[in-house]
Amino acid sequence: MTLTYEPGGSLAHGLDPRSKLAVQVAFATAALVYTTPRGLAALTGLVAGMLAAARTSPLWALRELRFVLPFVVTAPLLEGATLGSPWFVAGDAAAPALASYRIVLVLLVTAAFVRSTPVRDTRAAFQWLVPGRPGQFLGTGAALVFRFLPVLQADVGRIRDAHRSRLGDERPLAERISLLSVAAINRAFRRADRLALALQARCFAWNPTLPALRFGRRDVPALALAVGLSAAALHGAV
Amino acid sequence: MIRTEGLVHRYGETVAVDEVSVTVDDGEFVLVVGANGSGKTTLVRHFNGLLEPDEGTVTVDGTSVGDDLVRARTSVGMVFQKPRDCFVAATVGADVAFGPENLGLPRDEIDRRVEEALTAVGMADRREERIDALSGGEQARVAVAGALAMEPAHLVLDEPFTGLDWPARSRVLDRLERLHAAGTSLVVVTHDLRDLAALADRVVAMAGGAVAREGTPSAVADALPELDVRPP
Amino acid sequence: MSDTTTSDVDLVGDEATLNIARAALFAALVGAFAYVSFPFPGTPVPVTLQVLGVFLAGILLGPVWGGAAMVLYLAAGAAGAPVFSGGSAGLGILLGGKSSFGYLWSYPVAAALIGAVTHGGLELLDTDEIPVGRMVAGMVAGTAVIYALGAAGGMLVNDIGVRTAMVQFVLPFIPAEISKMVAAVLVVLVDSIRAK
Repeated sequence: MTLTYEPGGSLAHGLDPRSKLAVQVAFATAALVYTTPRGLAALTGLVAGMLAAARTSPLWALRELRFVLPFVVTAPLLEGATLGSPWFVAGDAAAPALASYRIVLVLLVTAAFVRSTPVRDTRAAFQWLVPGRPGQFLGTGAALVFRFLPVLQADVGRIRDAHRSRLGDERPLAERISLLSVAAINRAFRRADRLALALQARCFAWNPTLPALRFGRRDVPALALAVGLSAAALHGAV
Repeated sequence: MIRTEGLVHRYGETVAVDEVSVTVDDGEFVLVVGANGSGKTTLVRHFNGLLEPDEGTVTVDGTSVGDDLVRARTSVGMVFQKPRDCFVAATVGADVAFGPENLGLPRDEIDRRVEEALTAVGMADRREERIDALSGGEQARVAVAGALAMEPAHLVLDEPFTGLDWPARSRVLDRLERLHAAGTSLVVVTHDLRDLAALADRVVAMAGGAVAREGTPSAVADALPELDVRPP
Repeated sequence: MSDTTTSDVDLVGDEATLNIARAALFAALVGAFAYVSFPFPGTPVPVTLQVLGVFLAGILLGPVWGGAAMVLYLAAGAAGAPVFSGGSAGLGILLGGKSSFGYLWSYPVAAALIGAVTHGGLELLDTDEIPVGRMVAGMVAGTAVIYALGAAGGMLVNDIGVRTAMVQFVLPFIPAEISKMVAAVLVVLVDSIRAK
């Protein structure tokens, strides 16, 4: 999935990350409560609006999500299936089908968020939410994961290629997996040792200056939407 | 000024640094040379308190390094081998800001420092780029900028040219020369003196954890072959 | 040089720094493992290595930092790092956006549990002192947690019954999990052989 942040000047880019996180949480909750044809139709309209606000094409986003979609489709098919005649009960498949559609909607909202929010903003929002040392651990740690994911993916890919050409595919699965893991973990630990020194040399501290977060006028409609969705979810759940 | 006196460092039974007393004056350009395992990396890691002495003392501007680590680490910047593992953020600007953020500086001061540090290494227009997309030489320069953003009086570079081709190497070197000219003292750890000897004020040649020879590049040149250091 | 009062800077200690670096790298490794799949004989589902990463986080980093590593994995994914299976990401996924979200929430709990059982508490044993029996017991317990939460998540989000949840979320993966446990034991044995 190439679903990553892209710099831009859309409405969603200009929002405070906390507003966007609030909308996401409220949306996911409302979608869980209103998994009905009417509820999901209304939420579909909202999703279209959010994607437009992030200048993200729905078709592009769906293409990015293609790896996730097969699982979503199989759930209603499995639930509707029976072991004897009539083989398939449409009524049993209806609820899972709605649930699957809801998953697609939530993923599209996620796509709009990821596309319009740089890592340092999300990090700042986390650390606003979780203050102190735990927040600093979460924020710095998550930033380091972003930094090292491509590095370790490349490591794992190289190790796999090397093993394939040297060992072939004859060895038992568990052995192949363990050889890959040992090599990958040893590299990761060596990288961690070097990273730790570099962090210390640059005064890695529990109390750094955090990126500034400021709610603006643009955040008012976003926050209102989050409150509205939460209220609707609460109303529907009670 | 960085000064070690009678510095000893052991890894278990092995003595990696054996009673070493060296100084690096403000504005000086010092090369620390020696074969693999001669103790040069271990020595410089005492300059900013990454290691603790088993015996002896290490001071920066008269203050013991262990007494004020933050001060030692802001006045002695360090750039490591394999900079790829030393970046903490995915983009150039966010990484260079890491040091000043840790010092708790105000946001506008951090921005100014990031701008200046990137300008000093010729990367000012690359602030938003992904580090992974940069070449090895560009990564080396961003690593230098990350250290410079602490505004150190001394800059220690451990094998900064490993894995760089000649054009990349000379570009990094060019930036180091300018920094030196602007008053930053440089300590470069290397086993390859080719184009460095002409620039340095002094060479500290290490062997077996001790200082084997020390002096101007021309004065120690005759001793280098037997120390297994590639001569200039 | 500006004279910031250096005493205001609360440095992260040596040991904590190394642990944070290791936890973050391990979280990234589990993310990288999400992209590695092996065809598994007898099941249509290809085996990805994420769960092996969870096992090894508990075993090699211990209960505290192994669990912390998995928390970082979730936090990075929530912030948009493509670390979840299929390279997906985002807070929406953790909130039930994907039917497999139950597994994700189980990872920190499972890693901490596996670490605690393997090391018999919060103190870490050396890799070559880890008793294989305790390690296997830890992984079995951890796997139970992962699949219980995974199936519960599937039932909640897909609105399915226990039968479908077992068919979709548990049974196809069990043989592969046994392979991963064997692999984890081999990893630790090879590692400790190397350490000697």
